[in-house]
Amino acid sequence: MFNKIKYLRNFAVIALLAVANVWAQQAQQGVAFVLNSNDDTMSLIDTRTYKEISRERVGREPHHVMLTPDGKSLIVGSVQSHDLMFYDPVTGKFQKRIDKIIDPYQLAFSHDRKWFVTAALALDRVDIYSADDYKLVKRIVTRSGPSHLVFSTDNRHVFVTLQHTNNIAIIDLIDQKLVATVPVGKQPAGIWITPDDKHVLVGVMGEDFVAVVDWRARKVVQRIRTGAGAHNFIPMGDRKRILVTNRAANTVSIIDMDTFKVLETFRVPGGPDCMELTADGKELWVTSRWIQKVTVIDMDTKKIKTQIPVGRSPHGIFFNHHAPRF
Amino acid sequence: MIDRMREVFTAIQAWIFEAAVQPVMFSLGLMAYAEDAYEGLGMAMVGVIEIAVLVALFKPLEAWRPVEQWAEKRAVRTDVIYTWLNRLGVLPLAIFLLLVIPVNELEIWLRMHGIVRPNIEDVMPWIERNSIGAFLIYLLLLDFVEYWVHRGQHQLNWWWALHSLHHSQRQMTFWADDRNHLLDDVITSAAVAVAALIIGVPSGQFFLIIIAGRMIESLSHANARVSFGWLGERLLVSPKFHRAHHAIGVGHEGAYRGCNFAVLFPLWDIVFRTANFQSAYEPTGIRDQLQGRDYGIGFWRQQWLGLVRLKASFRGAS
Ligand SMILES: [Zn+2]
Ligand SMILES: [Zn+2]
Repeated sequence: MFNKIKYLRNFAVIALLAVANVWAQQAQQGVAFVLNSNDDTMSLIDTRTYKEISRERVGREPHHVMLTPDGKSLIVGSVQSHDLMFYDPVTGKFQKRIDKIIDPYQLAFSHDRKWFVTAALALDRVDIYSADDYKLVKRIVTRSGPSHLVFSTDNRHVFVTLQHTNNIAIIDLIDQKLVATVPVGKQPAGIWITPDDKHVLVGVMGEDFVAVVDWRARKVVQRIRTGAGAHNFIPMGDRKRILVTNRAANTVSIIDMDTFKVLETFRVPGGPDCMELTADGKELWVTSRWIQKVTVIDMDTKKIKTQIPVGRSPHGIFFNHHAPRF
Repeated sequence: MIDRMREVFTAIQAWIFEAAVQPVMFSLGLMAYAEDAYEGLGMAMVGVIEIAVLVALFKPLEAWRPVEQWAEKRAVRTDVIYTWLNRLGVLPLAIFLLLVIPVNELEIWLRMHGIVRPNIEDVMPWIERNSIGAFLIYLLLLDFVEYWVHRGQHQLNWWWALHSLHHSQRQMTFWADDRNHLLDDVITSAAVAVAALIIGVPSGQFFLIIIAGRMIESLSHANARVSFGWLGERLLVSPKFHRAHHAIGVGHEGAYRGCNFAVLFPLWDIVFRTANFQSAYEPTGIRDQLQGRDYGIGFWRQQWLGLVRLKASFRGAS
């Protein structure tokens, strides 16, 4: 009798472990994070069922998310409460909060994991923190409206769009100072660097093109017409193609980074902003700010697969099984 | 039900924004402020709904239990203009544009000098991610600031020169809440903005409660015999409670140059001993109106006379 109970119990434990294991694997494939910037909340969405699992409070006015270099935490930056909140990037479990990070509108780590840099859109400065302990190392005052940022491949430079003053700033991370500003067009927003490290791409939101900047020559060498309100980027993981949202035109364009030609443009409604692409390249998730939804695009047909209602003014978006970021 | 209403609201907001607002912003080169414009549009739409709700709820209430009845209502019509200007966001927008640069400069100055506002979440870690608790504390703190701003409006002669416009309404109805001198609006907004900079602002997810707060403020001016009962009177500002603040001889002319200054929570009047729960439903206005002093009936005349009083106050006249 006793043995039978023991046997049954062992069986139950094994069965439970098996279920938990399957569940964990599914969870690994499964949670999308969406920041509702005007609700101060984060929506957790099951990426298989397209259902919102929960909506949690984060800091006040969260905008962008960034994965830590070790991949163990997803950071949410909130500009009104001046803090960073850390979450498990797979399960969405809350880990910790770091305060007194001033106006972390956009955030990024250098590739060598040395620096953690934030752009303070409201306060006109770029802050350089040590990536180990998030202690402020240097505060660099810029012209008005630092918005998005990207690093050069060798980590020597960081490029920042200045949304209110129509330039990009080039900051030297070794000397830790501003070395140049380059005019690019009205209200530049998103920024990316080509895999060959030669050109910086800038979404010029006040116009209808992506500016191609030869950053060593410090000038715009080409304008790629994509659509009104060119805004933010996400690479497609093949070192060749990159996606850009066109906010006022309600479209997304695919750009070839070798030829700087637009390969394709397709409709995404509701003021498309940030994007995330699945690792298999089949689904593109886009935050549609004006309609308070996440729009999921089937990348085979370029048609809307589904739309998921979230909170007010959804902005940053992330899931762990995304296409590589180069 | 609420989800469905929100969905419809958002669809309309997005439609108006994409059809009319965003194209204008794009052509004016103002895309950097698209989010603010989107929010502003939302606030204006909420304002229209609010006014509809105010009329639907408080008109019948005032008809049911009026304190006073008037044959000629031109004075009330001016208050309607104030209400529309406020709820449609015309005044808030103008004030925002006026204040955004100085407030931002102040914020930058504070940061440059290493002064970082303590978040309530820093001081009380237990409140971290407890949204209702944090929200209530912010609401109480901001109400505390508004209480003292309001005391200043009565205590300082130059400020009273402006605020007396709000009190000069002798036909007080729920429309009277937004009846203020424009300069007074700017000053009080600046004070609250600076306070918000120092103590922080409540989370944006509670806009329904903030709107409920605005409803309470409108209700508190209603021409209606409504009291919230012994306990209710001490928890929330009622029409009876705020009427005492506006009552001739009881309010501004009483002790402390007024009583019942609180905007939402009578708590602050109780704590600082300025509460008056006794006064019944007295006539409203300012005593010198009985001697014939003119505060104006129409919008522009009221604004002009406010400036005249302000100038006189600097010369020492009251
Ligand atoms: Zn008063
Ligand atoms: Zn009043």
